[in-house]
Amino acid sequence: MMTAVIGNGLAASPLAERWTLPPARDPDAVNRMVSAPLLESGLWTWRAWWIGFAVSLLLTAVMVLSIVWLFIKGIGIWGVNSTIVWGFAIANYVWWIGIGNAGTLISSMLLLMRQKWRASTNRFAEAMTLFAATIAGIFPILHLGRPLYFYWLTPYPNTMTVWPQWRSALIWDFWAILSYILFSIIFWYVGLIPDFATLRDRAKSPFKRTFYGALALGWRGAARHWRAYEILHLTLACLGVPLVVSLHSVVGMDFAASLMPGWQETIFPPYFVVGAMYSGFAMVVCLAALVRWGFNLQALITINHFEVMAKIMLAASIIMGLSYATEWFMAWYGGDRADRSLVAFEFTGAYWPMFAALLICNVAIPQGFWLSGLRRNVAVVFVIAVAINIGMWLERILIIWNTLSHDYLPSAWRLFLPTIWDWLLMFGSLGFFALMFLIFVRLVPIVSMHEVRHLVAEEAAS
Amino acid sequence: LKLFATGAALALTSCGRPAEEVVPYVELPERLTPGIPLRFASAFALAGYGRGVIVTSVEGRPIKVDGNPGHPASLGATDVFAEASVLSLYDPDRSKTVRNGTQITAWSTFEAALLPRMDEVRKRQGAGLAVLTPRTTSPTLIRQLDALRKSLPQATWYRADPVDDDTARAGAVLAFGRHLTAIPRFADARVALMLDADPVGPGPEQIRFGRDVIGARQSRRVDESLRLYSVEPSWTLTGALADHRLPLSHELIRNVAIVVARELGAPFADAALPDEVRNFARVVAADLKSRTGRAMVLAGPRQSADVHALCHFINGELRAPIDFIEPVDPYAGGHMESLRALADDIRTGKTQTLIIIDVNPVYDAPDDLPFAELIASVPFTAHLGLYDDETAAHCTWRLPLAHPLESWSDLRAFDGTASIVQPLIRPLYDTRTAHDVLAFLGGSIAASSHDLVRATWQSARQSQTAAGDFEPWWRQTLQDGVVADSAAAKGTAPAAKLTQITPASPANGFTLTLAPDPSVWDGRMANNAWLQECPKPFTKQVWGNALHISAADAKRLELVDGDIVRLRGPRRAVIEMPVLVRDGQADGTISASIGYGRTRAGGIGNGVGFSTRGVRSAEAPWVITDVEITRTGGNQNLLRTQHFFELQGEAEELQPRVTIAELARGQTLFAAVDSDPPTLYPPHKYDTYKWAMAIDTAACIGCNACVVACQAENNVPVVGPDEIARGRDMHWLRIDDYVVDGRPGFSPVPCMHCEHAPCEPVCPVAASVHDSEGLNLQVYNRCVGTRFCESNCPYKVRRFNFFGYADGQEYGDLGADILKAVFNPNVTVRGRGVMEKCTYCVQRISLARRRAEKENRGIRDGEVVTACQAACPTRAISFGDLNNPDAGVHARRHQPHSYALLGDLGTRPRTTYLARVSNPNPELSA
Repeated sequence: MMTAVIGNGLAASPLAERWTLPPARDPDAVNRMVSAPLLESGLWTWRAWWIGFAVSLLLTAVMVLSIVWLFIKGIGIWGVNSTIVWGFAIANYVWWIGIGNAGTLISSMLLLMRQKWRASTNRFAEAMTLFAATIAGIFPILHLGRPLYFYWLTPYPNTMTVWPQWRSALIWDFWAILSYILFSIIFWYVGLIPDFATLRDRAKSPFKRTFYGALALGWRGAARHWRAYEILHLTLACLGVPLVVSLHSVVGMDFAASLMPGWQETIFPPYFVVGAMYSGFAMVVCLAALVRWGFNLQALITINHFEVMAKIMLAASIIMGLSYATEWFMAWYGGDRADRSLVAFEFTGAYWPMFAALLICNVAIPQGFWLSGLRRNVAVVFVIAVAINIGMWLERILIIWNTLSHDYLPSAWRLFLPTIWDWLLMFGSLGFFALMFLIFVRLVPIVSMHEVRHLVAEEAAS
Repeated sequence: LKLFATGAALALTSCGRPAEEVVPYVELPERLTPGIPLRFASAFALAGYGRGVIVTSVEGRPIKVDGNPGHPASLGATDVFAEASVLSLYDPDRSKTVRNGTQITAWSTFEAALLPRMDEVRKRQGAGLAVLTPRTTSPTLIRQLDALRKSLPQATWYRADPVDDDTARAGAVLAFGRHLTAIPRFADARVALMLDADPVGPGPEQIRFGRDVIGARQSRRVDESLRLYSVEPSWTLTGALADHRLPLSHELIRNVAIVVARELGAPFADAALPDEVRNFARVVAADLKSRTGRAMVLAGPRQSADVHALCHFINGELRAPIDFIEPVDPYAGGHMESLRALADDIRTGKTQTLIIIDVNPVYDAPDDLPFAELIASVPFTAHLGLYDDETAAHCTWRLPLAHPLESWSDLRAFDGTASIVQPLIRPLYDTRTAHDVLAFLGGSIAASSHDLVRATWQSARQSQTAAGDFEPWWRQTLQDGVVADSAAAKGTAPAAKLTQITPASPANGFTLTLAPDPSVWDGRMANNAWLQECPKPFTKQVWGNALHISAADAKRLELVDGDIVRLRGPRRAVIEMPVLVRDGQADGTISASIGYGRTRAGGIGNGVGFSTRGVRSAEAPWVITDVEITRTGGNQNLLRTQHFFELQGEAEELQPRVTIAELARGQTLFAAVDSDPPTLYPPHKYDTYKWAMAIDTAACIGCNACVVACQAENNVPVVGPDEIARGRDMHWLRIDDYVVDGRPGFSPVPCMHCEHAPCEPVCPVAASVHDSEGLNLQVYNRCVGTRFCESNCPYKVRRFNFFGYADGQEYGDLGADILKAVFNPNVTVRGRGVMEKCTYCVQRISLARRRAEKENRGIRDGEVVTACQAACPTRAISFGDLNNPDAGVHARRHQPHSYALLGDLGTRPRTTYLARVSNPNPELSA
């Protein structure tokens, strides 16, 4: 059955027949494995968790501080200047929204494509999506000169009878993010309902029983419930796939619907979708490795999972490489002086070391995934995934810096020098993400129990 | 300080008119309608010479300076210094009260101290009394000084302006036996050779000469257009304009003069010159000779007296179109000579009472005249100045001088034309004018400068007309801003004597040449933030100066931009300053500007840039030979608003250059400015007006008057050096400088007001909108600050308030209450976080529209004049309605050499350009 499902050569490996290891091949074992950290606190020390929590709390405080300082002083505290009016905030936004892409892809696209292995990763991938999209949504507001008026982007009735300007890509963007965040919350929560019921049923303390009971919305596991659930989940998945593609296309259009060399390219929407998937998967791999280590889930998140995700990253890295090459080719083939000059600037200008790092991280290093030995080594996959995330961040900042530093009028050419506040807000947002994720693993089953049970049952039957 | 500010505010709100005509506000003063600005004619001095201005006053606050069309040194245009002077009026660092040392006191105390001293002085026929002034052309002040010297024959008047004309003066004396001022008639010239002369550069004649030179170059016939040759060690604005410019070390320019003179028949021995230069000199001499009667050779202020004398001889041979007048500055001696005499008199103890009026010798005298110590050794010293400056700090009495906008006075222009300086505002502080102080020295206690000035002109008129006619004449003169027929009589010079001149031998070390700064002049404007932030021509440096050095020399010394070097002159003193490597600077000659490195300029100007005082001597104040350069290892970030890159053809596209010969063929040279690339959006309809601007880059001399005028008109904030270093500047209008074949060119870049503006569709809140007349408007209070408009603007003309530059986060003390008085009430002061940009002076369009609608007619061509257009000395900018086929802008837009900046992007800019036109000599064009 697996061979029929997966067309990417997994069938060659006999181990790939199954997505769980023997300790997890029993529905009750799955429940126990996943719910124990939440329900049986005596068995668990949480030491690493507390350390992580303290660090991420500190970083979150840094983020809050840098936001407060930003509101007091204005965006002049950043490195943005008259020519490069966009900087870290937009790059971080694009990067985070890209991270926020993978959860939906894993849940929806892989669900529709019947990739069974997604069952043990989709829960935290969805949580990651939600948190990353939330953080991404904050940056465009922080980036405003007058953030208190961000609501002017909404079409609300007002005495001035002024509506937003619908031709602006930023308005499309606003709706894309908003609908994506709403969708992510609903999709995530719907998938959680059966698991909350499991936790309610297994909880020993009355408080936990009430807490999870309320979240379970009266789920009894009846056949009617399951039927309704399956229909809703599948419908949401069908909605999710076009949504995630449109979101990243719109993010791409923030740049493509402009006049600037290096931005006004029709390749941008698909290129951004793939880029988002790429960085999102890389982040999922990082989180999977951490979750697997932290909760001893080697039986549920197996080497095979890393291998298949490594293959997806490899495919994405090739597409990214082709996209870059297409941009360079089109700049040359188009013959426009500004475009050609920009490509020359990318390779030889002030940011060339970053550009080289980008190409190494995004295109060169992931080629290691051609070797199955590297794909099946969790540490290697983890390191490469981190490199991809760094590379994708560099790509986002360089899309902004290169074009704005080197556009049509040489008299306005300038460079961007980030300030301490740029860095603090960026690392602070990473801390905030970690904080939300740590709280999530403490309260919510980290792996979708009912889907894994389903998988185990299917695997047992095959 | 708070008290001062309150006092100032009171003075402002009470009445802005001169004390002599104060009317209580309970009854509306005649002529004053709230909201309707009043305009008064006056004059401002630069290096002592007047430029006529018309100052706009809103409810008693002077807010904007424009040129006086009737004034020969203004012709309706301004320069950066005139534009910026309103800011100095409200400068919170101005000297506000009399001080004895640092002790605050009153005028009466000063008078009480001076009176017994003056009694003694009077007993000794004035012996021991010395008055030091800058160059003075004010008839009233001269009358007062004459009267003082008449009553106190032993008293001495010293006159030393920081920007002297000693070499020109001595050159005239050599050639003619006496001092005559040469005034070239560029309009009649067809060939001119500049030997480091810079007639269109900053100075009191800039506006007039700029207009004349550009006017003479307007002809589209090769032999009817003024061809300029320039030989200079460092870039000047005239050099940038010249059709042929040769960078040449300072010494060898003298040899060029000799070779040219030889070619024209002077019996000199040959002077050594490199072949290329010799060929240049020969070709130029031939060109000059072929246009005898319409050719001239001008020497710059750094050339020595014998070169000036030689130029007079050459011009005599060429029958050059040059007028000669008796000097407007009546002081007979040289400036440096006078300053040295004062120093000697102080040293010998001859000077016991020293009154310094509006000069700052402690800062600007050469190093071998240590006025700080000299002044301290004089028993009684008083300094009358706008600021409590370096010199004031060493004087016993520090007296606050009234700003020209607060004083009555009179001034003569460089050609002798007199103007009355009238106040627009009652003195903000307890200040007095130079006339008041001199009157007091003369013994009259109650004289007002108003009466003194009137008395001067009354007596001048008495000889001509009956006494009763004075009042109407006076009123008319005040209104016109020019005293009719007061220009000095023009004559021709006697035949110039041919004096022997020795050729220069090449210098051993470096030669340092100095010049007044294009932004802060001699340093007296150093506390003016508009000027500090005004990007200097060529280098675009702001907030500081630098040592300009040629690329070859820099390579040899392994210097890069910003490296701090130590200069050691023939005197032992040493100065340190950062270098700026420049193409087109002559090898062997290094250049810098004076006016920086002030220590007591005020909060804005203190510590900005580097003073060159240490290497200057009274013997050689402007040209210092045998200078040694050593690296210190330090480096400083030079603040520049434009950075220069190696380009691949962009410059030729963005700033095309054509020759008159190409133009004469009559073909259209560039893509049509009205081309209409395909678009999905419906076209805009402009059924009323269709505003457009056309800028003639051939006429742009790069003087920056438009930049500062725009700043003054549109309340454009100053951001300060730190923000400039971060790449943020707020000027709505910038001058782009591109170098093509080694030659810089200037294009003023305001908003293009594109018909298909890339900024408009990207704004999510519709803060950037298109109006029915084609203006591309920015609605400040709708802007949320996404900055998408600026990132999508191919011209990068939008400016963002990253901080509240005018809204609580001002640079230095620019947020002081008093400075709010300088704001134009018709233009919104922008808050933090909003985008702003050039509006084509929409407030002026709106004013014209209101006026036209009241009279039930359309706006006429020329009725709307933007601030940049009004300021431009050479009329490079025209503005008007494209729907009117007779409008000047319509004609200019459809000239054969008209082009749109980045027109191929389909933005359809409303601002278009005329290409730079040159008139090269085919014999030199390689």
